[in-house]
Amino acid sequence: MARPLGAVRLRKANSAVLAVGVALVLFVLLLVISSSTPDFSPARKAAAALHPLSPPTSPFRKSPAGAMLQPPPVARYNLNNVTTTARPLENRENILLLTPMARFNPAYWDNLLRLSYPHELITLGFILPRTREGNLATRELQKRIAHVQTQAPERDRFKSVVVLREDLDPALSPLASQDERERHQLARQKARRAAMAKARNALLVSTLGPSTSWVLWLDADVVETPPALIQDLARHDKPIVVPNCFQRFYNARTQAMDERPYDFNNWIDSDAARELASAMGPDDVLFEGYAEMATYRTLMAYLAKDDDNDDDEGERDLHEEVLLDGVGGAALLVKADVHRDGAMFPAFPFYHLLETEGFAKMAKRLGWEAVGLPNYKVYHYNE
Amino acid sequence: MPPTTASESKVAPRHPTTGCSYGYPNEKAFDMSPHRYAPRHPAPAYRRRNGSFVRLVGVVAVLLFILFYSFTRGPSSPPSSAALSFFSFGLLGASPEHSFQLETVRYYDLSNVQGTARGWEREERILMCVPLRDAESHLPMFFSHLRNLTYPHRLLDVAFLVSDSKDDTLGFVTRAMEAIQSDPDEQMHFGEVSIIEKDFGQTVNQDFQSRHGFAAQAGRRKLMARARNWLLSAALRPYHAWVYWRDVDVETAPFTILEDLMRHDKDVIVPNVWRPLPDWLGGEQPYDLNSWQESETALALAETLDEDAVIVEGYPEYETYRPHLAYLRDPSGDPDVEMELDGVGGVSILAKAKVFRYGVHFPAFSFERHAETEGFGKMARRMNLSVVGLPHYTIWHLYEPSAEDIKHMEQMKREQLAHEQAEKERAEKAQKVKETFADTTGQWEKDKAKMQSLVVQEKQETQEAAGGDAGAAGAAERVAEGVETPTADSGEETGDTP
Repeated sequence: MARPLGAVRLRKANSAVLAVGVALVLFVLLLVISSSTPDFSPARKAAAALHPLSPPTSPFRKSPAGAMLQPPPVARYNLNNVTTTARPLENRENILLLTPMARFNPAYWDNLLRLSYPHELITLGFILPRTREGNLATRELQKRIAHVQTQAPERDRFKSVVVLREDLDPALSPLASQDERERHQLARQKARRAAMAKARNALLVSTLGPSTSWVLWLDADVVETPPALIQDLARHDKPIVVPNCFQRFYNARTQAMDERPYDFNNWIDSDAARELASAMGPDDVLFEGYAEMATYRTLMAYLAKDDDNDDDEGERDLHEEVLLDGVGGAALLVKADVHRDGAMFPAFPFYHLLETEGFAKMAKRLGWEAVGLPNYKVYHYNE
Repeated sequence: MPPTTASESKVAPRHPTTGCSYGYPNEKAFDMSPHRYAPRHPAPAYRRRNGSFVRLVGVVAVLLFILFYSFTRGPSSPPSSAALSFFSFGLLGASPEHSFQLETVRYYDLSNVQGTARGWEREERILMCVPLRDAESHLPMFFSHLRNLTYPHRLLDVAFLVSDSKDDTLGFVTRAMEAIQSDPDEQMHFGEVSIIEKDFGQTVNQDFQSRHGFAAQAGRRKLMARARNWLLSAALRPYHAWVYWRDVDVETAPFTILEDLMRHDKDVIVPNVWRPLPDWLGGEQPYDLNSWQESETALALAETLDEDAVIVEGYPEYETYRPHLAYLRDPSGDPDVEMELDGVGGVSILAKAKVFRYGVHFPAFSFERHAETEGFGKMARRMNLSVVGLPHYTIWHLYEPSAEDIKHMEQMKREQLAHEQAEKERAEKAQKVKETFADTTGQWEKDKAKMQSLVVQEKQETQEAAGGDAGAAGAAERVAEGVETPTADSGEETGDTP
């Protein structure tokens, strides 16, 4: 057997060079290994589900290709131990962040990534319509999700992400027609809000898991929130907490950027509205923000104190609370127990209310109250 | 395998297998190679030293590397497993603890899980929801039903909610499900199995009387509704096409019930629920009165009630005059006949998962004066979904005697015992009477014999008086002896009787 040529070279090599070479090879190997394992920490892995058939609010172990799938184990969940407290961070409470989405807004996504609540405790849930626009948004969204969940540093990655496609007929989809003018026509409102309620319910009931403590509803058009949004809202320890939704715009009069109230679904009921409702048929719906039906409800949008007068005072009142009878869905933090008790978004006139407004009413029937924070603002996209 | 290696091959090898024969046929055939390097002397000492130095450096580097690697893995992972995972990484991928990859993203199209009439052919998954409370005694029966279901088990996800239980319901369910999931028969294995614990602090007792008393109804139904909603919201997944609600205290139901109900392709469908009764109560009885059609009377009644009032069916306090599914049963009727319903009972409900995705749930508040499953039916109707019952397709609920029934049964038992006692006494008396007066015939014989002997004596006396005939006297004596024998026996018998 011939001897390999390596032995010949070995004789010539300097031992120091060899040592450096070995070290270099090992270093490269280490680099290769560490860069090729976008892996999760043992703590996250330990918390993962054992089987793909598991709550979507947790990641699961990918089984090696070709391996026989074992029958799922018997999983026990003790919901008595799921806490929902004013200090979610200390108690490591899980958040389910839900967004019905028709169009992908990069600003929304960037704002989402800026949230300071530990991402390993946040599960994202999306529902998108089966339209061409929805397909487009889904592709954009999935691209971003794939990047964050595999390429980004581990602390940026979310616990898990669920993407759902609506089962509704695309022609009837609420998210289908997102034309700003058409969207707010009173005649279309009823069908739109009803279908929107169905989309919200589908998203909620399919993703709500046994470990979820809070559900944060965040619209796909909310592009700016304080990074500590979750901690700030949870701090109130209320069943339902709603910040005030504003919109930034260029004020031509003052030649400067300004903000204006946007979400008018956060209100305190009025006698006029109650009278209006009592005269209605069982299938009629009372909408807010239309001249056709003046409800004279107290709108939280107009309760915000102007920052310009006195900054200190505005700061102090940031966490001022008001009790609400109707809520909007732009940003909404709900204790999971409220949803578990059965508070849904009615897709039928429930006390002449639909969707998020009806949700507040249904929660109230179940004994849960909603509070609004007039001075705590989130901002809606301006198209 | 390269054909060249086969020496027994009929084809001559085209190329030699060894790399260094340099055109010569084979090493074995021709051992010497002129180009081969052969050192004339053994390696010099400095080179040998050098070699060992290189090896040493290599070993040290590897050790350092392992140490470094285990450090970077973080303090939480034990160094041994880190080193192991390093060595096996990419080669074996078999570190027992953390070698697996995580999947964090899931994508589902809800239009694929709409629920169709032949779901088992389309691999549609069913979520089976079973609310439990102090139900240990019914569980063996329930699990035998569960094993017998003909719907493919791997498509069935089972979720239990155990609430406020004082018995070992939780332990029993866990053990039973673990036994099923590790059954040697793969067909037995179910899909996802979730056992959820949640205590609501229920104050109503679970025995029949307190469960079914009128006063307890509204509060009890609202608590039940909460439990159902908690169970569903924690267990429903985006891949479920159907949801099946089943109570544990069903005694008899067809194994094919899932397919049977699914075939109707309705949004919400319930079978008829009856219960067997003891014969003295008529043999059978409609059980679930919560499946009904709305009536004008009931609607008018609802109008008059308070916002928080709950109409409960089957109690004389609320006279609704509603057509009940249960009363329309014809034992020989077509089991496929459907009936539109407004309220449904919760013993066995098959519903499409989309019903719950639309937001229909079990109201734990008074929804149009109804709660729980009846409110569920009402809400489904409110959203224009189909709610249907099968009057002639019957499942049988367990018969649990009510307090009244128990009282009645105790009464019956007492009566029966008294009856038996009386029977026994009568029998004894008859026996005694029989035995006491059983010797009447003997007595008669005895009397007869005595009389005969008297007659004989008399004759003798007259004969003696008439001069006497010895032969005749002897014959009379023999007759008297023969007669006297049974008389003595019967005398003994009489003496024996107490």
